[in-house]
Amino acid sequence: MLRGILLTLQIGIISWIIALFAGILIGTFRTFPWRPLRVVGTAYVEIFRNIPLLVQLFFWYYAIPPLVGQWLNRMHNLGYYCAIFGLGIYTASRVAEHVRSGLNTVPTGQRFAGLSTGLSQLQLYRHVIIPYAIRVMIPPLTTEFLTVFKNSALAMTIGVLELTGMADRINARTWHGLESTTGAIAGYLIIGLSIITLMSLVESKLRIPGLIKR
Amino acid sequence: MNKQDTAKGSEPMVQIKNLSKWYGDFQVLYNINVQINEGDCVVICGPSGSGKSTLLRCVNGLEDFREGDVIVEGVSVKEVSHNRGIYKLRSKIGMVFQHFELYPHLTALQNITLAPRKVSKVPGQETEKIAMELLERVGIPEQARKHPGEMSGGQQQRVAIARALAMKPDILLFDEPTSALDPEMIRDVLEVMVNLAKEGITMLVVTHEMGFARAVADGIIFMDEGKIVEQGDVESFFKNPASERAKDFVDRVLVHI
Repeated sequence: MLRGILLTLQIGIISWIIALFAGILIGTFRTFPWRPLRVVGTAYVEIFRNIPLLVQLFFWYYAIPPLVGQWLNRMHNLGYYCAIFGLGIYTASRVAEHVRSGLNTVPTGQRFAGLSTGLSQLQLYRHVIIPYAIRVMIPPLTTEFLTVFKNSALAMTIGVLELTGMADRINARTWHGLESTTGAIAGYLIIGLSIITLMSLVESKLRIPGLIKR
Repeated sequence: MNKQDTAKGSEPMVQIKNLSKWYGDFQVLYNINVQINEGDCVVICGPSGSGKSTLLRCVNGLEDFREGDVIVEGVSVKEVSHNRGIYKLRSKIGMVFQHFELYPHLTALQNITLAPRKVSKVPGQETEKIAMELLERVGIPEQARKHPGEMSGGQQQRVAIARALAMKPDILLFDEPTSALDPEMIRDVLEVMVNLAKEGITMLVVTHEMGFARAVADGIIFMDEGKIVEQGDVESFFKNPASERAKDFVDRVLVHI
C-alpha cells in the first residue's frame, strides 16, 4: 500500500511539473501578439482537452510502441512513463487555459506602461504580466494540482500499480475490499490536504501588500 | 528660460505628418500634422473620444497607424515599429497614464528601477540611487519601499512620473495624468509637471487642466472627432478661439474653473 502511495506521488508530482511548464508556455502562446504562436497554442489545447484522458493514455501505451518500434514494449515500466507523460501533456492543456485567463486579467494599461519604458515583449511578460497573472491563477492551479493526483488513478488501466491499482490488487487477492479501498481513500486525502496546505502557504507568500485584503 | 536657445536651428523633436488611423472601418484620426520643438510643452485638449490619447500612443508606437508617419528625433516610428528599433525609441520617450499603471507586485523603488535594470542593463545599486533621487524630486522619498496599493492616487502618479523619468527620456507623454485624482492631489502632480516643463524637457500633455496650460504650455492643440480643429498659442486660443466648436469648449472649461 505504501508503495502505491509513493508511486502515486511520483506520477502526480512529475506530471504536474511537466503540466506546469508546458501549460505556462502554451497559455502564454495563446495570448502572444504573434499569430503563428497563437495557432500552435490553440491547436494544442483543443486537441488535448477534447480527448478523454483514458483514451490518451491508451494511445500512448498501445498505439505509440508499434509506431515507434517494438523496443519500447521491452521497456519493463513503459506504463509508468506513459502515465507520467500522458497525464502531464493532458493537464498542460487545462493549465494553459487557466494561464490564458490569468494573463487576460492583466489590464492593457500595464502592457502600455511596460512597453513605454522600452521593455521588449519578452521582458514585459517575464517581469510585468506573468508575475501579476500568476497570483490570479493560484486558486484554479491548486485545483488542477489536486486533479492530477486523482487522475493518476487511471494509470492502473495501463498496468501501473499506483495507489488505486494497489488497492484493487489487494482486494482481488484477499477479499478485504473495505480495508483496501479505505486505505486508498486515506492515501488520496492525505496527499490532497497536504497540497492544499502547501498552496495556501504559497498564496499568502505571494500576496501583494495593499492590493487584496482578506 | 533657455527654450528658444535649445530649439534654434535644429529640426523639431517630434513631427507628426499627415497621420491617419482607423479602428477597422472607423476612422479615429484624420490627417494630423503637429510639430514639437525641443524643450516645448504642448497641451492637447478636446472632448472625450476626440482621439487625443490615441494620437499620443501613436507617438511611441503603442498604436499602429495606416497613413502618414511620426518622426521622433529623426527616427520614423513607422519604419522601426516592426523591428527592435521601436524598443530603443520608446526608452527615449517616457509616458504617464491616467490610471498610473504602476506594477502592483513591485515596490515604488522597483517600479522605477525595472526598466533601467532590464533595458539599459544598469547595475542594481546604481539604479536604486537614481530612483531615490527621482523620488526625492517628485517629493515622496518616504514611499520608496511601499507597494502601489498602499499609496494614495497622487503618490502613485508621482511614482509613475519618476518611473517615466528613470530612462532619462528626451520626451515625456502625459495622458490625462490628473483625471483620476482628487482635487488636492491634482496640485501635487501638477506642481511636479510644472517643474519639469520649466526644466525644459519636451512634453506632450493631454489634459483638461487649463490652468496648467496657461501657466507653462508653449502651444495648445484642440481636437474634436479625430481632427485638429485649432492649433497655436495658448493665450489667443483662450481669448478668441477661431472656431465655433473651440469657442464652445473654452466657454465650458472656463466656467467650470
